[in-house]
Amino acid sequence: MNDPAIDQLLSAARAALRAAPPVGDEAYLRFARSVGALVRHRWSEIVRANEVDLAAGHGRGLPEPLLHRMRLTGAHRDRVAELAGTVQRELVAATRPGPVFQGLGGATARQVPRPLGVVLMIYEARPTVTVDGTLLPVCAGNAVLLRGGTEIAATNAALGAVFDTALAESGLPAGLVQVLTDVDRAGLRHLLRRDDAIDVLIPRGSPSLVDACRISSRIPMIVGGGGVNHQYVHRSADPDLAVRLVLDGKLPEPEGCTALEMVLLDDAVADAFLDRLARRVAEPDVARLALRVDTTLADRLPAGLRAGLDVRPLTDADDGREFLDTTLAVRTVSGLEQAVAHIDRYGSGHTEGIVTGDPRVADEFCRRVDAAALVVNGSVRLHDGPTLGLGTEIVIATGRLHVRGPVTLRSLTTRSWRVEGNGVTRFRAA
Amino acid sequence: MSTVQPEAATGATGDRVLAAVKRVVVRESRLSLDPATVPDDEPLDGRLLRVTSLGLLGMLIRLEDDLDATLPDDIFAGREIHTVADLADLVRAATQAGPS
Repeated sequence: MNDPAIDQLLSAARAALRAAPPVGDEAYLRFARSVGALVRHRWSEIVRANEVDLAAGHGRGLPEPLLHRMRLTGAHRDRVAELAGTVQRELVAATRPGPVFQGLGGATARQVPRPLGVVLMIYEARPTVTVDGTLLPVCAGNAVLLRGGTEIAATNAALGAVFDTALAESGLPAGLVQVLTDVDRAGLRHLLRRDDAIDVLIPRGSPSLVDACRISSRIPMIVGGGGVNHQYVHRSADPDLAVRLVLDGKLPEPEGCTALEMVLLDDAVADAFLDRLARRVAEPDVARLALRVDTTLADRLPAGLRAGLDVRPLTDADDGREFLDTTLAVRTVSGLEQAVAHIDRYGSGHTEGIVTGDPRVADEFCRRVDAAALVVNGSVRLHDGPTLGLGTEIVIATGRLHVRGPVTLRSLTTRSWRVEGNGVTRFRAA
Repeated sequence: MSTVQPEAATGATGDRVLAAVKRVVVRESRLSLDPATVPDDEPLDGRLLRVTSLGLLGMLIRLEDDLDATLPDDIFAGREIHTVADLADLVRAATQAGPS
């Protein structure tokens, strides 16, 4: 796509944003309802497009994990319907004006929601992101440009047609959603330079993709970084609880960004922890665990653990590593000080947990560790918008500005102050 | 475009393409180690590195930035790439930039 064509799509996005009704308008509820119904109604058409992409991917020799992520199933259809329903339920509360503040004289002020503006979503070959990345930003009043992996161009085109119909049915302007199926890498670079026309950039994908956006663009970013997450087990911890939390943190969906990567064990509790873990190796999912243990633990591992699990020595490369599989690193530390130092050096600021029976230690951990979420005596998997009752999310942000943690409908708006002056002046009485 | 990497990161070979490739595959594999310590024959998807085609878009943009070059969209089409050196050879051929 050449530069004039990109100028044109950016102009269309801005025009649609200007023409769109205010945040909280019922048209956005209609849009969510319409997307849910249309995806159900046109599912066979969407799947046919998806099969075209999959066949092309097979032909190009794409690896099976990538094809798996590209493939749409009935579960995805049901999930879209569920997401559309959730967005409708949450939208009113998420876009409600804030409380009224009493100012000078009779003046009052309250925050009212506004869209972030034109949002550019860049992601890889994941059609589910096309749906999430449309529903939430648009229902929060934004215009959205979606540039997904070229491997899912046909699927995205079919979903784009759904969005076009949903916009028309709900009375929202055409151009509020644009699925970019013909923007090549040069075109993408051009988009990344257009901080004059794009208000927010949301990259969702590999570290290189996020780096590329960070380096090549001045557009403000909401970024969900990878999670190099730790669970610190203090000497005062109940070892049974610690094992339960560690297993929950690692074993379901270990490729998720809230998955646990390393356990930091106080040396005083290490033997008890390993003993309790050894008692559970017969459980089918626990048997899939692969441990990477430091040298201080190598000779202390219970025989059952050594026999039941894939156990290897920890290497320097394992510190700060996001394994994305069932591998769990285990390292001993001398205490809180060393645990905090390790997390400070290797953590990614995503989710950090502590297991302790001492509230003062929990307070000290939370005071000193800097991450989007700190979990005390719970699974690191609790860091999730719906699980915490914060609302549905599109990503967990690790940046420091605007939003940190789950990016919900509310996070996809900004706030203006509406001031009711009631004739009050500030400096001159008359 | 960003400038080519500092000399210290180029490794023993002095090959700026190889150094750029090592930096990007280390980052893509979410590792916290010195890229220069990665062997040239390290598999891209093995015990140490975890590089798959899922991250190609970002890696190509990063390599273009690092090397101040434009890489073809079909750079990987029909190619067998198993190691860091394989990837560096491919990028070197595409940029026609030999070892410095």
